[in-house]
Amino acid sequence: MKELINIIADPIYSFSIVIALFLLSIKYIKFVGSKKFFWIALGGSAIFTVWAAQDKNFWAIITWPDNIPISILLISMGWLTWYAIYKGVNNDARTEKGEPPLEGTPENREKVWAWPNLVYTEMFTIIIGTAFLVVWSILFKAPLEEPANPTWAPNPAKAPWYFLGLQEMLVYFDPWMAGVLLPGLIIVGLIAIPYIDMNPKGNGYYTFSERKFAISSFMFGWLVLWIFLIIIGTFLRGPNWSYYGPFEYWDAHKVVAANNINLSEILWIKWLGMPLPKNILLREFLGLALTLIYFAVAPYYLTKKVFNFKGKLGKWINGGQLGGYLKSMGYIRYSIMVMLMLTMMTMPIKMYLRWFINLKYLVFMPEFEFNI
Amino acid sequence: MSDNDKNKHEPGMAYDTKFLNKLFAVLGVLFLFTTLWMVLDDYIRPWKAVQLKGFEVKDQVLKEKIIAEEKSIDQEKLNEINQEIEVAKKEVEAKSGELEKLKEELSKVQKDIYVQNMTNGTHGALAGEYQFKYEHYLMEGKEKKAAPYKKKMEKEKELFAQGQDDLKTFQQKESEINDKIKAIRNEVAELKKAESKIIGTKDRLVTAKKLNKRDPIFFLRNSPFIDYLDPTVKIHQVVLDNLTDDRYFVQTKKVDRCTTCHMFIDQPGYEDKPQPYRTHPKVNTLAVGTNSAHPIKKFGCTTCHGGEGHRVNDFNAPAHMPSSEEQQAEWEEKYHWHEPHKVPITMLPSKYSYASCTKCHNAETRVVMGDKLNRGKELVQSYGCYGCHKIEGWEHLKKPGPSLLKINAKVSKEFIKNWIWSPHTFNPKSRMPAFFGQSNNSKPEFMKKNIVEVNAMTEYIVSKAKDYQPFKKYSKGNAEKGKELIQTIGCVACHGVEGIDEPYSNVNAKRGPYLTGTGSKVDPDWLVSWLIKPSHYQADTVMPSFRLSDQEANDIATYLLNSKSKKFADLKFQEMDKKIRDELLVADYSAFIPIATAQAKVEELSDEERTIELGRISIGKYGCYSCHDIEGFKSDRPPIGPDLTKVGSKPIHQFGYGQQHQVGHTRHDWFTAHLKNPRMWDIGVPKPFKDLNRMPNFYLNDTEIEEMTTFLLGQVSEYVPMAGKKNYNERELIAEQGRKVANKYNCQGCHTIDGQGGWLSKTVYGDDLNAGPPWLVKEGHRVHADWLHTFLKEVKTIRPYMNVRMPSFNFSEGELNKLVDYFVKDADQRVFYEKPDKVTWEAGEREAAVKMWNELACVTCHTGGFNNEEAQGPNLHFAHERLRPSWVKKWLANPVGIQSYTPMPQFWGENGDESAVEGVLGDDPQKQIEAMKKYIIELGQKKGSYQYK
Repeated sequence: MKELINIIADPIYSFSIVIALFLLSIKYIKFVGSKKFFWIALGGSAIFTVWAAQDKNFWAIITWPDNIPISILLISMGWLTWYAIYKGVNNDARTEKGEPPLEGTPENREKVWAWPNLVYTEMFTIIIGTAFLVVWSILFKAPLEEPANPTWAPNPAKAPWYFLGLQEMLVYFDPWMAGVLLPGLIIVGLIAIPYIDMNPKGNGYYTFSERKFAISSFMFGWLVLWIFLIIIGTFLRGPNWSYYGPFEYWDAHKVVAANNINLSEILWIKWLGMPLPKNILLREFLGLALTLIYFAVAPYYLTKKVFNFKGKLGKWINGGQLGGYLKSMGYIRYSIMVMLMLTMMTMPIKMYLRWFINLKYLVFMPEFEFNI
Repeated sequence: MSDNDKNKHEPGMAYDTKFLNKLFAVLGVLFLFTTLWMVLDDYIRPWKAVQLKGFEVKDQVLKEKIIAEEKSIDQEKLNEINQEIEVAKKEVEAKSGELEKLKEELSKVQKDIYVQNMTNGTHGALAGEYQFKYEHYLMEGKEKKAAPYKKKMEKEKELFAQGQDDLKTFQQKESEINDKIKAIRNEVAELKKAESKIIGTKDRLVTAKKLNKRDPIFFLRNSPFIDYLDPTVKIHQVVLDNLTDDRYFVQTKKVDRCTTCHMFIDQPGYEDKPQPYRTHPKVNTLAVGTNSAHPIKKFGCTTCHGGEGHRVNDFNAPAHMPSSEEQQAEWEEKYHWHEPHKVPITMLPSKYSYASCTKCHNAETRVVMGDKLNRGKELVQSYGCYGCHKIEGWEHLKKPGPSLLKINAKVSKEFIKNWIWSPHTFNPKSRMPAFFGQSNNSKPEFMKKNIVEVNAMTEYIVSKAKDYQPFKKYSKGNAEKGKELIQTIGCVACHGVEGIDEPYSNVNAKRGPYLTGTGSKVDPDWLVSWLIKPSHYQADTVMPSFRLSDQEANDIATYLLNSKSKKFADLKFQEMDKKIRDELLVADYSAFIPIATAQAKVEELSDEERTIELGRISIGKYGCYSCHDIEGFKSDRPPIGPDLTKVGSKPIHQFGYGQQHQVGHTRHDWFTAHLKNPRMWDIGVPKPFKDLNRMPNFYLNDTEIEEMTTFLLGQVSEYVPMAGKKNYNERELIAEQGRKVANKYNCQGCHTIDGQGGWLSKTVYGDDLNAGPPWLVKEGHRVHADWLHTFLKEVKTIRPYMNVRMPSFNFSEGELNKLVDYFVKDADQRVFYEKPDKVTWEAGEREAAVKMWNELACVTCHTGGFNNEEAQGPNLHFAHERLRPSWVKKWLANPVGIQSYTPMPQFWGENGDESAVEGVLGDDPQKQIEAMKKYIIELGQKKGSYQYK
């Protein structure tokens, strides 16, 4: 069993599994938002944790002082996500019956005094929080290490936990992309959301069915591409940034055979059986072309088939608005939204390319430090 | 909060206030408890418990000491003194009126002094202020304004001077009165002093015990929060100005807090207490003690012991390391000990502590008090580790093995093959290590290849060797006589010899090869020639000539040749498989060229050329040239092993462990395993023939391994500031140079030099030290430098009554100068010591000297040149040439003080302050010694009167 988990936890498999689970939960969102699901999930993960914690490798990695905040994050994140879905699904059911959302009922619109209702509870939170931090710091001493020794770097050298998703991206992308461009776009994209999102629904109350596209696409980026990669980076990446299963000993000498090659080499050497052309553009033309096609053809398809709410998927994401996104958002907003979407999707695409054809770079131009 | 509950609340309220108040109370209590927990967690530290127990240990020790002290007190004498004190006190009481008056006077004078001091202070301060203003206005060019201040200033200065003088008057008065008071009380004070001599130590111990009490005040001082004021349970530390801790980007002052737990490390009396309360070994000589060579205040703890000295969190924090597996198990149980994580300098297990001497004393051949390290160095030298491994500071040494440039005259080809294959079969004590038949190359497939290599190497060595004709022919002599000679003339100082090695098996006796089976090894003619003149065969050998006669040489040779290794002599080495030879050649060539080209290259060579070529390659591969001179291998060819200069600082993850997971993850564990079986790292690792580990096996025993590990651990790269290091002065530097030469030729194998070494003297001649090699005590003071130079170059008999011989070494000119310099500088002497041309006598002095000469009967022992009796001491006719007059005086005054074993009588008493012959020179021992010295020096001044033999 542990062996099996060790194998399927490898991102090569687990990434697809997580995507599948994500899609399933979107599809069966009503079940996910039920209390029954909550208890099943809580019970299931509790049993798994207790069972897995018997393993000394698993125990070592989850109790490593650095990793404790991440465990706390995972637990609270799971709870909060489910709670939001639960509320949203509840409201959706009420909406179907023609009732207003729970937050919109007359008694819930009543106002209460800030003191003591707000201030008192805030103080409770402060006390609980402080007491918790004190106890935590007594039980788990701060993971302070030796003074930094430039000749003896830690292996693995890990970023702070909130950046481990980014560090995981470095496995698949050039540092310039994974370290500068994509993080920049993430920040810009997050800032842009309020300006792109024109959907007035869900203001002041929880809902899923009225904001299917917004919630699903955000959650994909958040859960699958961020949280899941942090989990991998924290718990499953060991010395030399190699993959280690949750029950595997971190042996620093683990050897992983990985010979990655560029698309230009596949094209010219492998398929055409000739040396690489001297001309950079000619050499890289396939990768460049594919990239261009991706950013040109995909929007066309999305506009025609999905975002005009006409295809099957298009009909599903239609949160009650008429026409299509292009029409309701306007050209500029729409194209920004599509570009951000497409850029986000490059991450899983690149991951799959790496796993299936050992692709290093689609376009490899070290002459310009331009590798994608 | 469910929806229904909500309606029950007052308007404007989401919660029930009473509930909130209760919740607040609960949370408040919870918070209080966590805060208390935090304080306690901060307060309770493991070292505090250690110190509390330490106080108990101290109590116990003090109690024992007090009891012991009480026993030593002379009660009768004490009572006597006490009675006297009573009497004296009464006397003082009788004068009490006078005393009171004096006291009153004293307090008056003291008042005057106080007032005068205040007044003077004011005048002084005003003078300063006016002077400043005066100078300030002058600077601004306002001379008019400045003028009044000048006057004021002068006036104040005058007043100040006057006041100072008055003060002195008062002070004089004060001391006069004090003297008077003292005179009255004097007797009591003296008696008290006498009393304190008897019971002072006990009183101090009792006070110490009182201070050590754990009373309520003690607990108050050490309770939480209050303990910031003046706790007794606290962290103790030394901060060093001259030594640093490396924090990678900065060197910080070294801070050692070890004494927090090792509370009595610097106090004798705790030697038998359990750790951490034990006293440091050699506390007053080696380290820690104030008078020791390395006081703790100047050198700290981690300087030598390693580890993180500033950490006191718990037992593991300073990176303690166990000395043995038992200790590890004990620590694991007691302290939850675990391997330190990421600590670059862990503590040295106590058995390796001497390793750290090297950090500062690396330039010394022999570190005083560092016996274990010295033995390690001695082993590294005799096994010749420095041949294959570069070690900075060891480059000047000659190659550890004998030269093979003329080997054909010495041994046969068959012998060479068998010897290379397995030296220990022939000589179990061989220092030539075993390369073959080891744990990584004993597979039949590898053995076959090794046999080919050994054949090829032998062919290479034999074919390249130059011709050599022994200059003497062997003729059978008397083996018994030979055996006796070997024992007595000094061979066993460097060689263990079969049949007479017990009890002489000692590190030093490994300087030369262990002599066994010589009859199955060497050519008899070569042996005789070698014994008579070793440098004839190998110019740079350290083997000296003993100036043997032909008969003596043949006697020794006969004894040695009688020792045969039958088993070894009958060995026939396997013939070379030529196919494998060619394969090996191709494999070697094809490292950089394609196999087909390599094959073609091999085919171009003739059969013989192929063998020689493989021999050359194999000698390079196994590094034979590192230890032996071999034709075709230049002396500047780099050594084949890794550099060991800084191996003690090599990070542990850079050591290869292969599949040997049972070996501990520390440097010392790795070294120990490596020295035990250097090839073990290959076991279980799939490696091709050419990549096999080549470090040979020396078959070291555990003690040797521990000593060599100590040496290796000391080879660190830690930075030691100049201020913290042993800095050599000119004298020490010169002496050290010579000490290296002395070490090369193993002078200390025979001689004790200033207390060190003298192994032959102490063992073979242990019963009669005077018949053995003389102990050299400040030899540079004893003899003239030019005489020593000549003597070392051309040895002459000084003590004809001895069997042991000072050998004739083949020193180079530079070595000779260094040796002479060494002795001279080590004795703190000048090189040139003027020899008086002619002794000048005082009136009547010579007659007195002659009288003493006859009375003391010097010629009874120093017969040389006076009669034909057997001599018991050196010939005094050489004294002028050889001895420094100032030393002669020192010697006459107290010979035993210089050479404890000498039969020379102490004519002038044990301290040289008694008259030797009554009625001579007014019985003044100094004058007598001076006269005697002159007489002895004069003996040798009669030019041509006497010649060396």
